[in-house]
Amino acid sequence: MLWLKDVWVVDPSQKLSSPQSVLVKEGKILAISSSMSDEEVQFKAQGEAIETINGQGKFLFPGLIDVHTHLREPGQEDKEDILSGSRAAVRGGFTTILAMANTQPVIDKRALAEFVRLQGERAGYAHVLPIGTVTKGMQGEELVEMADMKEGGVVAFSDDGKNIQNSEVMRLALEYVKLTGLPIISHCEDKYLAGDGLMRRGTASGRMGLKGIPASAESVIVARDLILTEETGGKLHLAHISTAESVELIRRAKARGVNVTAEVNPHHLIFCDEDIHLTDTALKVNPPLASQEDRAALIEGLQDGTIDMIATDHAPHTQAEKARPFAEAPFGIASLETALSAVYQYLVLTGKLSWERVIEAWSHSPAKRFGLKGGTLKPGTSADMVLFDPGYKEVIEPSNLVSKARNTPFLGKTLQGFPVMVWVEGRLVQRNRMLL
Amino acid sequence: MKLQRKDVLGLEEMDVEEIRQILQTAKVMKGILMRPIKKLPTLKGKSVVNLFYEASTRTRTSFEMAAKVLGADTTSIAVAQSSVSKGESLYDTAKTIQAMRADLVILRHSSSGSASFLADILDAGVINAGDGQHEHPTQALLDIFTMEEKLGDLEGKNVVIVGDVLHSRVARSNAWGLRKLGVNVTLVGPPTLAPAEMGGLGVKLTHDLDSVLPGADVVMALRLQLERQKSGLFPSLREYSHLYGLTTERLKKTGKQSVVMHPGPMNRGVEISDEVADSAQALIERQVTNGVAIRMALIYLLIGGSANVVA
Ligand SMILES: [Zn+2]
Repeated sequence: MLWLKDVWVVDPSQKLSSPQSVLVKEGKILAISSSMSDEEVQFKAQGEAIETINGQGKFLFPGLIDVHTHLREPGQEDKEDILSGSRAAVRGGFTTILAMANTQPVIDKRALAEFVRLQGERAGYAHVLPIGTVTKGMQGEELVEMADMKEGGVVAFSDDGKNIQNSEVMRLALEYVKLTGLPIISHCEDKYLAGDGLMRRGTASGRMGLKGIPASAESVIVARDLILTEETGGKLHLAHISTAESVELIRRAKARGVNVTAEVNPHHLIFCDEDIHLTDTALKVNPPLASQEDRAALIEGLQDGTIDMIATDHAPHTQAEKARPFAEAPFGIASLETALSAVYQYLVLTGKLSWERVIEAWSHSPAKRFGLKGGTLKPGTSADMVLFDPGYKEVIEPSNLVSKARNTPFLGKTLQGFPVMVWVEGRLVQRNRMLL
Repeated sequence: MKLQRKDVLGLEEMDVEEIRQILQTAKVMKGILMRPIKKLPTLKGKSVVNLFYEASTRTRTSFEMAAKVLGADTTSIAVAQSSVSKGESLYDTAKTIQAMRADLVILRHSSSGSASFLADILDAGVINAGDGQHEHPTQALLDIFTMEEKLGDLEGKNVVIVGDVLHSRVARSNAWGLRKLGVNVTLVGPPTLAPAEMGGLGVKLTHDLDSVLPGADVVMALRLQLERQKSGLFPSLREYSHLYGLTTERLKKTGKQSVVMHPGPMNRGVEISDEVADSAQALIERQVTNGVAIRMALIYLLIGGSANVVA
């Protein structure tokens, strides 16, 4: 039995944010209590050996759930694979990750979804749950066999990486998905407005001569998808929201009762377009880093619940691909190993977001929306947990990253506040930043 | 005096003293260029590589000539850039050039930022001969040199740059350079080609050419890429020319004997009429001559060492 003593538990699912003692037995949370005597613990152990961890000065929270990761397997294992990606996940504090479907081949059949799930089980780190595509071949035309794919374990459908430009296909998807009860995850991008743009259109793009992507490229599709969701009664989740207009559209739709949730990526909360330098492709990402006003609206939207969750959009690429002139480098930031620390340092320590809200948005909210286990430390649930040391500092270097990718804007920088112990179903998988 | 920098990547990052030093040196270089025998031993044994990913005979020839007058050995590498995913990457090409131990690389490339990218990898100096839509510093320097030659001190003068400013590295470099010299710069074009984001350059932006012509000392027309019409950025050459084309009639509105410039090659009858292009006001050929002088100055200031060309 494991006894975590005097640890500050943050578990929004139980409205907890206070010092507690936590007992874990047989892979499950046995008890949480602010007053627990030695005798009580002895009694609960029922003769089993007790491993005691002094949690003073540290936080314990539910293992984080990331609903947006690109693990690149099958097909692009030079960027990442399910093993390396799920190792990166638990190093970063994530015990459940949803794998996006835009692999090669794309996950548009049950057999492929089962492969992803199995590879996750074989890896044996985080729970890896597959997302299926919405359309066959991600062509934006014919729907996949949604019911069969759900049987195969998919927890959502998304053509992420591309937008379904044909509004009728999107409408049909939102209708048909009702058979499954699962959400459609929409990557909102009007391909004509986005064109071959490289960063957010604004004075920074104008100055550098990089082709701009207007904010409307996202927001017009957000508006469309909200209208279609309202009309069909489908279930919609909006990926990587990045503009103030989108936040406002979602706020109004939620007030009308539209069945929608939304996520925001850490990099959109931390950086803005003015931070981009011409030779720094680590910040080349889609949707592009937005304006300071957008960033403020995203933070506000996340804090007030308009935006439901944080998700990394972990997008690993090889060094050779990113070591190119800005226009030629691929979009994406690899972030599983740095996201939580970066959010803690840049947003929680600076008072822009509450720590409780961050944990809620990264554990309980995604669990609720996607119908997943985890996201809570309620007694009886699986012990997916993170022990977080707010004082732990680490230089982000290639030598300590376990992801195959290095495309992080924090490379060479020091971050503070890291998971120092991570358990999946009560099994310790990371200790002192090393994988077990 | 050498420049205290390895590379010349753009005018945004250059300070006004450096710009003046380059213009001063170019004056000497132009004197040399005008001699009957223009060959110096100054850079004997130095190697200059012209790496051109975009076809540009005039810029490449100008750099080659500049290097040769100074006595450097030049090599030209023309790379057909059919697709970014095909062929050797700029990174690998840079490594190859590094191994060849070139002293200076002149890069023309279609990606904004490519010159900085190359400069970060190479020990050799890099001169940006145009990177995407970002900067074209040698063009702006030769434009400024030409303006000064004609008008003297440029502080307080009015320069109007008209055309497709959004996609123009020439407009960006000129805006940075001229602003630093105290010039009032106005960028003009239709809203689709001179959109609000160009306000990031800190110069005046307008869509009405005729309203900003009075008092203009210099009017510079940019080359219009005709394929922009297909992308819907302007409806027709006819309308473009009607609103933004430089004609003798329109230039009278400046109220003075304004200087007309164009970076070339010109679309005659579109952004500039034949009559204007061939008039005494137009300094277009002089720009070409001055281009060689400016490039000589930059090559000399970057790799000239202590050799004294000025003597
Ligand atoms: Zn996406």
